[in-house]
Amino acid sequence: MAEETTATPVSLQVYRYRAGSDRVEALIGALGPELPEEDLVAHADEALKRETFMCYAVSQADDFVADELCFVPQGDRCDILSIRTNGWERHHGDHRRSLVEILNNIAAAVACNKLRILDGEEVAREAEEGRPLVEFAIADTPDLQRARESVDEVLRQAGIDDINRQRTILCISEAVTNMLLHGGGRGDMTVRRLPDRVRFVVADRGPGLNFLNWLEPPSQSGQASMGYGYKIILDYLDAVALHTGPRGTTLLLDRTTN
Amino acid sequence: MLRTSIAPGPAPTVYLAGEMDLDCADALREAVTEAARGAQMVALDFADVAFIDSSGTGIFVRLTLDMKSQGTPLVARNLSAPVRGVFDMLRVRELVGDEVFPD
Repeated sequence: MAEETTATPVSLQVYRYRAGSDRVEALIGALGPELPEEDLVAHADEALKRETFMCYAVSQADDFVADELCFVPQGDRCDILSIRTNGWERHHGDHRRSLVEILNNIAAAVACNKLRILDGEEVAREAEEGRPLVEFAIADTPDLQRARESVDEVLRQAGIDDINRQRTILCISEAVTNMLLHGGGRGDMTVRRLPDRVRFVVADRGPGLNFLNWLEPPSQSGQASMGYGYKIILDYLDAVALHTGPRGTTLLLDRTTN
Repeated sequence: MLRTSIAPGPAPTVYLAGEMDLDCADALREAVTEAARGAQMVALDFADVAFIDSSGTGIFVRLTLDMKSQGTPLVARNLSAPVRGVFDMLRVRELVGDEVFPD
């Protein structure tokens, strides 16, 4: 069944509803006809009024695995995450993490405000906050080591303890690797100092996060899917923000300094 | 950068040192292929691996599964603290089997 599906096998869409509006905007992906906008607005309104996270299972006619729709109230707006599985199931012997599991992790991270999904204006503003410390281009795999060494130095100077320094370096390695593999193969990393944190801005001008590429078989060199990288990033950093679209992806990775 | 050295024999050991990321695939595969010639199994020693990420882990997992299917199984020994942390987090034991970690 999964092989016959030509559409996106599993995907994550993120929409945003602003209180008092009668429409939702797409932050990741596009709004499809299968989700009536007025229904999304009504549910988002309810989540905002009740100030509570709401999650629904949505069954499609030809889909025996229920898809998920989560409403995450955030003050004057409500983020809406839609996970569509299109009947995709993990194959026997597939050693990669299930995509559904990865997307559920991401939805949970948004729900507890660990991961913020940003629109274009927000990311432009937040990526300029604070004072730039280091900036360099990423274009090839040897840049991974250079990025880690540079981050190590910055974190030492900021007084970050060993464990959190190692964890942050690991996350930077994951983010830069994702950029090399899935973000058009090049981009920039800027390290910025804010009053209470060090912020790493990892930005590419690739085609945007494509959850399809998690399904490609591991290549000759044996790369695991990028889902592992996101798990590490979400587990180990203090705050993460993401903007992605057809003109590129930007990650803001924060390590608080107290 | 990953550096490798081989202690030959019927059960050779490949000593790994340095960093295992997206860049380590060729170095790891070449060393294991060389060590595996005529061997019944190959041990990888991780004691001096100072850094590993999910790509380095994926490369190890892929290679371990390939070697098992080719009849020259790999075992992993002396995991350094960074390697142990990432392998635990990514549940590597479940992916490659308990027999890969005899210690």
